[in-house]
Amino acid sequence: MSDRYARTRHDPASATAAAFQVRGRFLTALALRVDTENAGGPFYAQLDEQLHKTPQFFSGAPVVLDLVNAPGISDPARLRELVENLRRRELLVFGVQNAAGIDPEVLKTLGLIAVPPGRDAPLPRDTGPARAVAAPRPIQNKVIHSPVRSGQMIVAEQGDLTIIGSVASGAELIAAGNIHVYGPLRGRAMAGCHGDESAHIFCQSLNAELVAIAGLYQTSETLGEVPGQGCTHIYLEDEKLCMKVIA
Amino acid sequence: MTTEPKKNPPLGRVIVITSGKGGVGKTTSSAAISAALAKQGFRTVVIDFDVGLRNLDMTMGCERRVVFDFINVIQGDAKLKQALIKDKRVDTLSILPTSQTRDKDALTKEGVEKVLNELKAEFDYIVCDSPAGIEHGAQMAMHFADEAVVVTNPEVSSVRDSDRVLGLLSSQTKRAETEGAEPIKAQVLITRYDQERVDRGEMMTVDDVLEILAVPLLGVVPESKAILKASNVGTPVVLDGPSAAAQAYEDAVSRLTGTQVEMRIVGERRPGLFQRLFGRAS
Repeated sequence: MSDRYARTRHDPASATAAAFQVRGRFLTALALRVDTENAGGPFYAQLDEQLHKTPQFFSGAPVVLDLVNAPGISDPARLRELVENLRRRELLVFGVQNAAGIDPEVLKTLGLIAVPPGRDAPLPRDTGPARAVAAPRPIQNKVIHSPVRSGQMIVAEQGDLTIIGSVASGAELIAAGNIHVYGPLRGRAMAGCHGDESAHIFCQSLNAELVAIAGLYQTSETLGEVPGQGCTHIYLEDEKLCMKVIA
Repeated sequence: MTTEPKKNPPLGRVIVITSGKGGVGKTTSSAAISAALAKQGFRTVVIDFDVGLRNLDMTMGCERRVVFDFINVIQGDAKLKQALIKDKRVDTLSILPTSQTRDKDALTKEGVEKVLNELKAEFDYIVCDSPAGIEHGAQMAMHFADEAVVVTNPEVSSVRDSDRVLGLLSSQTKRAETEGAEPIKAQVLITRYDQERVDRGEMMTVDDVLEILAVPLLGVVPESKAILKASNVGTPVVLDGPSAAAQAYEDAVSRLTGTQVEMRIVGERRPGLFQRLFGRAS
């Protein structure tokens, strides 16, 4: 039996009121890729033109300098000049990426941090090592042997989720793979949460608040035409959620 | 009323009466269940966890006898013996009232555990009357429980809140956090049940409720005028003369202590034609 009782992640009962809380935070930043080694007059002229055209776009947005095409700028003096010029234009430069061999002390004095190269929206060039990270993760299925209560959230991050019992309204099931519910499904079920379109949901009776596969969802309002009783199979076909009573 | 106290070592079972939703009858049920346990000869104490509101002592009819309270004991300002109030009607029953001037943050896990451990050495049943909600006060009341009575009205929002509470009982309590411990034995007590309205389809049936909550049924207490009357005079309903509600609580308590009692849903006796004609309230 695995994970007999799912637990919510924090335990509000245990701590006296804490003075701080550590939480993960993602933010979207603009990456400014410098494509010339010679960041002089023409470079700033082009930049000013861009800033003039779309001032809203840049106002208040954090900016990361991408030096992948201009390794020469990693030189402390030239980097300082560039950063100062950008900041004078009210660009909020806070980090540098793809700047190999730059002295951390230099970054520190400029108030910059080295940002690991992330995924840019328009990918400029495939930088080899980033690809090796995505090794397939081992599948870990999860079986819950108790009813899932309102307010509980059960996540099978890397596999299938099977519930032997009912899923109350207000409960949430999330799985990377399939979801099986051996009992009435009255809560929410989201299968294929990482985008797996071949994920399926099975339940013994469908009264769900929401079902979703790979991000495509239907709520109870649009589930209306589906008979609630009987075993139901939910799957994705031609980018549409299909529901079939199978028994 | 004198009952023969049991001479065996105390059972020390902690029962939390909880619900999530307010106004469903937690305090009334706590009073009735603890009084019925005491009537059966079990050494019983009932603790009010609703810090800041303090209703239990009124329902038990001892509000004028409160000197020290639960919070005083937790903070070491008073001894447990000084704070416990012995019931005048049943001598196996004690009440541990709570403070009206403090708030629920005064409850600490360590403090509650210490008091409960002291009580376990003397009492068979320790009944914890939980505040409404699922915040700190309610979590403190349920944390050290061995058994839970989840009070529910046959009504959708009450049932959903009870379901939420059942989830907390199975995830955020000491028994849930202790590896290998038996989970809290949770049972549902349906109160304010009105057979007539169920028959008319206006109220959820017992089966509807059980289908959603998926825990055993401890009892069904009918909507009864005896409850409000007993509360107002400060008497637990089981000590206030025979009524359908008192009978239902007595049955529920028998089941709680492990006696098999047939589940019967007693309604208030419907007024006969004669009574209806003359409009006499029962």
